[in-house]
Amino acid sequence: MPQSILLRCFCRLYLVMLYAYPREFRMQFGGEMQQLFRDRCRQVTRTPSFWNWVRFAIQSAADWMSTMFQERMAAVRELTVQECANKTFQVVRTVWSVGRSTQPRGFVAEWAMTLIIFLFATTTLVQAYVVPTGSMESTVMIGDHMLVDRMSYSNPGSWGSHLLPYRDVQRGDIVCFHYPEDVRQIYVKRVIGIPGDRIHMENKQLVRNGQRFIEPYTQHIDPTIDPYRDNFPQAPSWNTTPRGREMLADDVRDGELIVPPGKLFVMGDNRENSEDSRYWGLVPRDYVVGKPVFIYWSYDAPTADLANWSVDHLIDVTTHFFTKTRWNRTFRVPRAQQAELAR
Amino acid sequence: MSKPEDLLPLTPPVFHILVALSDEERHGYGIMQDVARQTDNALQLGPGTLYGCLKRMLAAGMVEESEVRPDPVIDDERRRYYRMTPLGQRVVRAEAQRLANAVTAAKTRRLFDRPKAGVTGGA
Repeated sequence: MPQSILLRCFCRLYLVMLYAYPREFRMQFGGEMQQLFRDRCRQVTRTPSFWNWVRFAIQSAADWMSTMFQERMAAVRELTVQECANKTFQVVRTVWSVGRSTQPRGFVAEWAMTLIIFLFATTTLVQAYVVPTGSMESTVMIGDHMLVDRMSYSNPGSWGSHLLPYRDVQRGDIVCFHYPEDVRQIYVKRVIGIPGDRIHMENKQLVRNGQRFIEPYTQHIDPTIDPYRDNFPQAPSWNTTPRGREMLADDVRDGELIVPPGKLFVMGDNRENSEDSRYWGLVPRDYVVGKPVFIYWSYDAPTADLANWSVDHLIDVTTHFFTKTRWNRTFRVPRAQQAELAR
Repeated sequence: MSKPEDLLPLTPPVFHILVALSDEERHGYGIMQDVARQTDNALQLGPGTLYGCLKRMLAAGMVEESEVRPDPVIDDERRRYYRMTPLGQRVVRAEAQRLANAVTAAKTRRLFDRPKAGVTGGA
């Protein structure tokens, strides 16, 4: 029964979460708390609805967060001078004996556990990311700070794909990925071609697998026709990178790019001002980090300031926070959108 | 033993837990359910809140663990039952009195609507 599996997963998760509490507290009440949590889960399964589960999850998370800190602070406050000395000694001893012998899990291990849980959440589930360039303008703007969901496109075959709604990258999706020319940078673009697609452009119009498309999400700022940019992959341009030239040499047949397995063809929505797959080649599927969930803050600032925080930028933010924040963009969701067949 | 007045005012969870324990001994889940009933589901105690409060109440001597296991059928080793001590009794009475005084003070200044019949079921 799927419900009982879900229940067991939740209880397992809670068992792990219990490690965030101080050791004494956990020893005294851990078993009972687990029992209580299980009873609550059962109570919810008796009237299962999506909102009941959401409410229960939020309540439990809030309860966990607040009381975990409360108990930790209480544990620190209850220490006497004598115990403080002991703890310090313990810390020194633990640090000293790391990797040497098996010590009982102490003070350091407890805090490490808390840290690990937070780090897990911020590195595996979501990540904050700021858009530094205008290549996706009209959809995402310079200075949009957004949360990226790292789970949705996680490699198929990992355990996550069985537990979570998983959907492979599709045409029209907005994705964040490591820039192949410099993997330290994260780029955001729209997926135009998935493996097997035949792609070319005719006077700014996308032709995919022989069909002409109208793309409602694009923005055109330059009416002139560039022979390469707007008629890709005709007339290779001088400003393609070596990677781009490689793609043009290997994957173009009869004037069309054929996307090879395990690669994606991406373009920015701001077509005339976007450095994308046309210039630096295809994105390996493994480089995809995730998809933007929502914009939590949009701040009007120049590209250089967003890439590297400086003192000047900090002052700018503190003094112009309310005027330069684009409030109407807050909590906006950059959506996947399908191109429409042209008649 | 501390005087009950020193422990006032109680936080809402502590007060409701004491009220829940005033008529019978209960285990954690029983307390949680009773508190939800008292407050029309407004106060859902999570495990952390409930046992955090119980820890402090045990330390203050307001409640104690009970060896009696009233319901051996659904019994589980991990379920522990809690019982109110005489001090807890006096504390909850004092708190109830304090709240009643506050309510009376509010009433004399006409801050009350007429209570609708049967809005909340008391404990």
